[in-house]
Amino acid sequence: MKITGKIWKFPQDDINTGLIRKQQYNHLPPQEQGKYCMETLDPTFAGKAKPGDIIVAGNNFGCGSSTPAYYSIMALGIPAVVAESFGKLFFSNCIGGGLWPVACPGIIQMAETGDVIEIDTDTFVVRNLANGKQLTGQALPGFYRDMIDAGGEKAYLKRRLAKQA
Amino acid sequence: MSGQHALHKIIANCARPKSGKVTPGTFVEIEPDVFSVILSPNGSDAKKLMADLEELGVKDLPLKDRIFAVSDHASPAPTMQLAASQKLWRDFYRDKGVRVFDGGAGVSHLVLCEEGIALPGTLGIAIDSHGPTMGAVGMYATSLGGGRLTLYAIGRYFLEVPKVTLVKVHGSAKLARGVYGRDAALYVNGKLGQRGAYGNAVEFAGPFIDGLSMDMRFTFANMGVELGAVASYIQPDQTTLDWVKPRAKDEFKVYDTDADFKYDQVHEVDISGIEPQIAVPHKPDDVMPVSAVAGRKVDQAYLGSCASGRLEDIAAAAAVLKGRKVHPDVRFIVTPGSREILIAATQAGYIQTLHEANCIVTNANCGACPGLHGGLLSPGDVAITSITRNFEGRMGPGGEIYLASPATVAASAVEGRIASPVGYV
Ligand code: SF4
Repeated sequence: MKITGKIWKFPQDDINTGLIRKQQYNHLPPQEQGKYCMETLDPTFAGKAKPGDIIVAGNNFGCGSSTPAYYSIMALGIPAVVAESFGKLFFSNCIGGGLWPVACPGIIQMAETGDVIEIDTDTFVVRNLANGKQLTGQALPGFYRDMIDAGGEKAYLKRRLAKQA
Repeated sequence: MSGQHALHKIIANCARPKSGKVTPGTFVEIEPDVFSVILSPNGSDAKKLMADLEELGVKDLPLKDRIFAVSDHASPAPTMQLAASQKLWRDFYRDKGVRVFDGGAGVSHLVLCEEGIALPGTLGIAIDSHGPTMGAVGMYATSLGGGRLTLYAIGRYFLEVPKVTLVKVHGSAKLARGVYGRDAALYVNGKLGQRGAYGNAVEFAGPFIDGLSMDMRFTFANMGVELGAVASYIQPDQTTLDWVKPRAKDEFKVYDTDADFKYDQVHEVDISGIEPQIAVPHKPDDVMPVSAVAGRKVDQAYLGSCASGRLEDIAAAAAVLKGRKVHPDVRFIVTPGSREILIAATQAGYIQTLHEANCIVTNANCGACPGLHGGLLSPGDVAITSITRNFEGRMGPGGEIYLASPATVAASAVEGRIASPVGYV
């Protein structure tokens, strides 16, 4: 599968879950969390981002809390985050929820806000359509792939339980 | 073939199918011994989970007897909304026969260790980023992002077998006056940074750790999270066994690391001669001596959390406050980590001392640490606190959080400004 979208770049390292979505909004239904996405770093972000856009970020994106801060990203219709590296809890949270976290060292140097990138979710090649440059991100381990391909944890479990039955 | 770390042996024991050996960097399916969950603040998550389980045809939770639900965040409920979501979760767990530790029990990681449920050699999973705190007793305790549905439905989940970073802490555990375990932990965080053990498990060892009390081992294991570690570990020794044995609800096994095990990274940190330490806003690794920011006016002092809400922490604050008063411009809130600690602190007279000094003493829970209640900050407020992390806005948007030892928190509360406790104890 290919995911293509315009990017918003947050080049900082260590963007924690509280910066992605403040803890204070934790209790809100997932779809209502979009308007607070990245609020501290860019209060205008939620208003600008369009469904299909992609976030590009630095090292250790999503470090911090185990709370599903990715809700706020998904609520904006963003299908993927490409980062130098991810906080582990955030990473696995995304997979269970069906948001693609693509770890791609070098991405910060290769893309600017407004560029359009294409992610091949089979090969993990990330291509910047604005300048033709490309990188290969880190492949997902098998069961993570199965889970995100299926559309998240529930869909994965359905398949697994059906196989056992 | 090189040897295995104790943590890898613990994981191998919980792997399904059981495995003799696990390889760092690979994923294994595991069945945890302990699964710790909170009464989440999100009610819509509860409804979704129940609907999902129903759709999957899951009636009984295979892990029912190993799941422990602890009401530690926002407990007792401070708003109607949180009360409603906690009710959904509480009813769900009770209906499924899961043991619920309701309000006042304390912070899950501390409670499960104190109750003798989280034991050396066991594998624990927590839906909470500070689950690794339990590694203080010598278990593999890690946090989970996602996976709750899978664990409820089939009782298993996937775990990446971590590489292990060794942090050897040198120096005597007998620290200078006014310097505590939390200062040493902050110092290590400052030295190694937020990615100091990124994605690895971290083992704390060395002469300093050997000499540490259990209370301060919890502090160290807890702060491993701020190094980016997925688990913290301290090899059980006599100190651990003396603490664990009278509490253990079950038999347990202590695993050892093979002599030829190769650590992914080894860091040596010498804490000899350090002064009281402080992490300044908004990064837990932006650490310096307290003297560098002494004099900064504070609005709130807060002692608590799974990092520093233990009896020794309260004792240190009480020692500073004995015969003194909290500065009239400051509110000083003390939230013990667990009911056991609150009872012990009461019996020791510390709580009386805190009351006489005009502290606000609360029930045991997470309190203000996750920014849900119990001492929120308003924009512009400056807090000196012993919580786990000082991320921007954590205790309330626009607030500034300085992290320090309980004694530094108490000394600052007395002066109304950031102050070293050295002259007070
Ligand atoms: S005390 Fe703070 S860090 Fe610890 S579990 Fe509670 S909210 Fe998390």
